[in-house]
Amino acid sequence: MTLDFGKNHWLLFGVSFFGFIALAYVVGIGPAIWVQNHSQPLPGSVAPTHIETEGLKVYISEGCGYCHTQQVRPLEMDAIWGRPSAPGDYAFVQPASAWQPYAPAVLGSERTGPDLSNVGARQASEVWQYMHLYNPRSVVQGSIMPAFPWLFDVKAVAAEGESVVPLPASHAPTGGVVVPNARGRALVAYLLARRQVPIEGYGGAR
Amino acid sequence: MVEVTSTATVARPLAVAKARVEPVADTNTAWARLVFSYLAWATAWLLFGTLVGEYLGIKFVIPDIDHIPWLSFGRLRPVHTNTVFWGWSSLAMVGMALYVVPKTSRRKLFSFKLAYVSLALINLSVFVGDLLLMGGINNGGQEYREYIWPVQAVFAVGVILTAYNLIRTIADRDVEEIYISNWYIMGGLLWTIALLVIAYIPWYQQNGISETVIQGFYMHMGVGMWFTPIVLGLTYYTLPRLLNKPIYSYSLGVLAFWTQMVFYSMIGAHHFIFAPIPWWLQTVAIIFSVGMVVTLAAGTGNFLLTMRGSERAIGRSYSVPFILAGTLAYFLFSFQGTLEAFRSFQALWHFTNYTVAHSHLTMYGFVAFLIWGSVYGLVPRMTGHEPSAVWVGIHFWFALIGYLLYCGALMIGGSIQGLNWIAGSPFIHSVTDMVPYWLWRAIGGTLMFLSHLVFAYNVWLMRPRGGASIWATAAQNGAA
Repeated sequence: MTLDFGKNHWLLFGVSFFGFIALAYVVGIGPAIWVQNHSQPLPGSVAPTHIETEGLKVYISEGCGYCHTQQVRPLEMDAIWGRPSAPGDYAFVQPASAWQPYAPAVLGSERTGPDLSNVGARQASEVWQYMHLYNPRSVVQGSIMPAFPWLFDVKAVAAEGESVVPLPASHAPTGGVVVPNARGRALVAYLLARRQVPIEGYGGAR
Repeated sequence: MVEVTSTATVARPLAVAKARVEPVADTNTAWARLVFSYLAWATAWLLFGTLVGEYLGIKFVIPDIDHIPWLSFGRLRPVHTNTVFWGWSSLAMVGMALYVVPKTSRRKLFSFKLAYVSLALINLSVFVGDLLLMGGINNGGQEYREYIWPVQAVFAVGVILTAYNLIRTIADRDVEEIYISNWYIMGGLLWTIALLVIAYIPWYQQNGISETVIQGFYMHMGVGMWFTPIVLGLTYYTLPRLLNKPIYSYSLGVLAFWTQMVFYSMIGAHHFIFAPIPWWLQTVAIIFSVGMVVTLAAGTGNFLLTMRGSERAIGRSYSVPFILAGTLAYFLFSFQGTLEAFRSFQALWHFTNYTVAHSHLTMYGFVAFLIWGSVYGLVPRMTGHEPSAVWVGIHFWFALIGYLLYCGALMIGGSIQGLNWIAGSPFIHSVTDMVPYWLWRAIGGTLMFLSHLVFAYNVWLMRPRGGASIWATAAQNGAA
């Protein structure tokens, strides 16, 4: 039994393996446990409704988070998106299913499109959101966001109680009317609920 | 009198003559077939994964190119990243490790059967994982953790079996010292096993941004504790062998190994600078990002000092140029990562396309180039069949120029995005200002993809088979 890393493979591999796990505890598992135990909803915030929770699933399924952030940084350049994000903003996020047993906080890593932390306050029109999702270029010139026509149905006539999405001729289908389907309605409900709760001294929904 | 016409008929070769592989048979057929199976699957995933990447690049320029849910940007992006991670880079480097570890342990691989089982499991996970992603079923996490846990568990079993196979090989080695390559290769395998388990255990990711804390840790280690150590380990074997001299310093290699493990493990949170995760965690990540300069200098210095004095051999080799380019990329672009960790630079570059450039500079300029160096350097010595030196040259230059164009465009464009935001101009300006840079990215990406077609052709030329191998030719010449 030698204590030379270069000659004793069990020593070398054991120290690297368990040493890494120890370090992982310090900067990964430990902080995660601490954050989980200290997660509190902000005063005045309300739990998401069923349809908003379904909307978050659509948001994740379609990969919206690859181009949209939901974290406002404490920087002057981020002030247009709202107040700086706080841990409590994400307190209501819950694991979606047994196949996705992690709370998807969807902070995002790229801002190819705008931050969405407060989009419900900034762009509160349901009609605008539907038009934009059906084809972003119908309302924003120069946008490169994908169109999501599969969140809608094209019908000859809208059924009782269904709202028709008004579209400019350039982006409307050749026949019939466009109405959002269940996934489309859920996603828009989720987006419209992205409203920051004010924190005293930090600002909030505008 | 000199004939005027003679100058026109002087042979002008397209490339300088490259050195042939020395005719020494050093392997057996079953072994070569095993390694080649990994390489062949890796190449198939490279072609598929980068074809998807190419298509995604086009979508930035023509967003309405299709309206098919399975091909939409948000679903295809993780298909691209996961395929080139787990399919291409992982299989290629593990395949080469299945050659390097037994070679440096002077012993046969513990089990060929286990190695084929690992290959099948990893292939299965990438295949099923990609299909699910295109169907809109993902883990809800972020980068590189998109496969749902049953799929990633299959991948993890593949890695665990590989680690077991190689540990048994090393434990039974016929030399006293564990060669430095095997430190890195086994380090990469063991760290990644721990990492996958830690990232996919749900108990401490149940609410708030606890999942984000793990994500920062995971997405960083997924690159730096898996690809980085294993491709460095391969190079610690390939480079001295191709240059026919020992590595410059064994101790520098050991220093880089331990600092890699201690410093790199601490820096995951630098992906969430200014996010609402604990501030001390972000500061720790920045400090150790600076510490990584030690590891980088030790690793790069070691390779460059090994190459010193061998300039002619490098020029005459078709494989060492890949290692030289990969080594320089390792230093430059990992150092770029250190700079990006600083809060002042993060304020400018975070969330911009600069980040996309950085991940391609490292995963491609560094990781893929070192893999190619080992493939071109070692596979002909296993199978007895060489690629065409001219086609290897075309692969090299297309890939190099391609990724520099791609990343150059995104670094400039990304900086413009950040400056736009700081200046407070309307958001859409940061989109429309990017248009020319996204076009140049697509052009660079096309060159990269073309180089992969050339690489696939070269892999085909190197396949194990009977016929006129370098050894048969040498024997014939000897007899003549």
